Amino acid sequence: MSYTVDPQYKCQIQKPKDFDAFWKGVTDQLTDIPLDPEIYADPLRSSPTVEVFRVFYNSLDSVKISGWYAIPRTRSSAMPGVLLFPGYLSDPPIPKTWAEKGYACLSVAPRGKIGSKQQFDPGYPGLLTHNIVDPNTYTYRGFYVDAWRAVDFLMSRSEIDDNRIGVTGISQGGGLSITTAAMRPEVSVASVGAPYLVGFMDSLLLTDTYPYEEINDYLRLYPERKEQVESTLAYFDGINFADKITCPIMVHLGLQDNVCPPETGFHLFRELKSQQKELFAYDGHGHDANRKEHQKKIEAFFEKYIGSEI
Amino acid sequence: MDRIRQYWDAVTDDLNNCPANPEIELIPLRTTGYATAFGVYITSIGPYRLFGYLSIPKGTGPFPAIYYTATYTSVLDFLPQGTSNFTRSRFVTFSLAGRGQRNADKPYAAMFPGHFTNKISEPYEYVFRSVTADCLRGAQFLLDCPEVSNENTVVVGNDLALIVASLETRIKYLMTAPKLFVDSIQLAGKVIDYAGYPALAELNDYLRMYPDDSDKVAETLSYFDLAYHATNISAKTLILAGSKGSVVDASALFPVQSSLAGASQIFESQDSSYKDGLYCEQWITENLVSPDTDPIVPVHWS
Repeated sequence: MSYTVDPQYKCQIQKPKDFDAFWKGVTDQLTDIPLDPEIYADPLRSSPTVEVFRVFYNSLDSVKISGWYAIPRTRSSAMPGVLLFPGYLSDPPIPKTWAEKGYACLSVAPRGKIGSKQQFDPGYPGLLTHNIVDPNTYTYRGFYVDAWRAVDFLMSRSEIDDNRIGVTGISQGGGLSITTAAMRPEVSVASVGAPYLVGFMDSLLLTDTYPYEEINDYLRLYPERKEQVESTLAYFDGINFADKITCPIMVHLGLQDNVCPPETGFHLFRELKSQQKELFAYDGHGHDANRKEHQKKIEAFFEKYIGSEI
Repeated sequence: MDRIRQYWDAVTDDLNNCPANPEIELIPLRTTGYATAFGVYITSIGPYRLFGYLSIPKGTGPFPAIYYTATYTSVLDFLPQGTSNFTRSRFVTFSLAGRGQRNADKPYAAMFPGHFTNKISEPYEYVFRSVTADCLRGAQFLLDCPEVSNENTVVVGNDLALIVASLETRIKYLMTAPKLFVDSIQLAGKVIDYAGYPALAELNDYLRMYPDDSDKVAETLSYFDLAYHATNISAKTLILAGSKGSVVDASALFPVQSSLAGASQIFESQDSSYKDGLYCEQWITENLVSPDTDPIVPVHWS
């Protein structure tokens, strides 16, 4: 008998009582850290239709974050902006295809990623479990803020219309899109594919693959730390951010996803507060979540809510 | 002797004159009840110290083995993302970081993009000459492990896996998904998407910026001609092509397949990591274990 996914699956996640206070404490620390955006043209990566820039900005703990910023050469002064977040393993791509469609797009490399690892580099594998017993120093505390601060970078650009900012990504990029849409009200639309960092503890039981297997490895070696791990991860679980999301959002899943179990994606979707939310669950697809075909839907969704200039 | 042969003979000569001097360290964190994990340090040409993750099933070997050659990413997987960890109960697995990748990034830390075109206009300085040597060194290390059944070992990877199979005659099985050296100059002109074909997108940018280098680049890439290397491969081969109409689809790979000396087939991607992955797991199990054995697959594929 083949495996079947229960779309009503409920993760065992609990929201910490001080969840909001925890994150307010974190984001308050940013007030003393100037963004200091830097932007450098990269003629080698630019094309006749798209200008590419290497960019940097400061984030939590004054860690310098890098990214690739691509904008269409034909543009006005009020363009929609898109934040593209990377997967756990992938190197942030140069987002020329978004720029070709008329968006100013920043592809972010949060701390630890290539281009942003001079001050913080817990390694891969290893990033997922770095300081996992302490929410105040866990990797994703800064990693999340790096993504959220990318909104400030876009808003620092005169060519961006602050009222038309979208976020998108697959896997970890999906997880970062969730938390960014939750914590930054400036986000007007979001697309989330095969989200990672959602239903952590359930995922450990629902999969036998990396990267979640990193946590299983950790708990096999340190079983006495399970309660601390669970407590930390509750502050970082996408499901606990879902009720803060009110912008239009689209979620796509693969029912045979062997990396980020679709059960966790279903639970996440139910928790989203947005009135305009759409779910696509693709049978016959794994962690790709039917990315190739679904991309057209994402583009139409973004066009509807934040439009493009070209 | 032809010039391509001379180029790679020089690489293998360099490697033969460079002792691997392996160091093997236990990794308790990745060790399970069914497999023991190790970090492996070996030396390649340069000399350059490399790193790889080795996993050996518990029990009595020798075991069938899977060798994952260096990928075109900054990160080295312990086991490829999405592979059931229980795979390690049946197979020795070995994943290697080529120079420039994490854990093998001192003194050379590759940039992505940037790695593929690093010294691409200088054939003997081109970084992928050395990265290919790294992958060959990894194959030699694995095939010399007493726990490994050489008759049941597959090399899995991109174009580098194919070139390694042409240079190391002990390899009996090859699973390759070429994305780097298939008609690179022509196909690069079609690619702007760094997410799908990062190396070709990088080459496209390079040739636009340095059009005067195109002849030199073509000469360098000629040494990586997959159809040439395929003539030396007797391993049973599965070629993984992109889906129909994609940049490196089956039609782009037919010349490579038709040059292979051994049995081969092309599998065209179904644009589904589930369908593609399941086919690969079945092929590996059928060939390395037996046609009657079920593959070890992730929970959601069962």
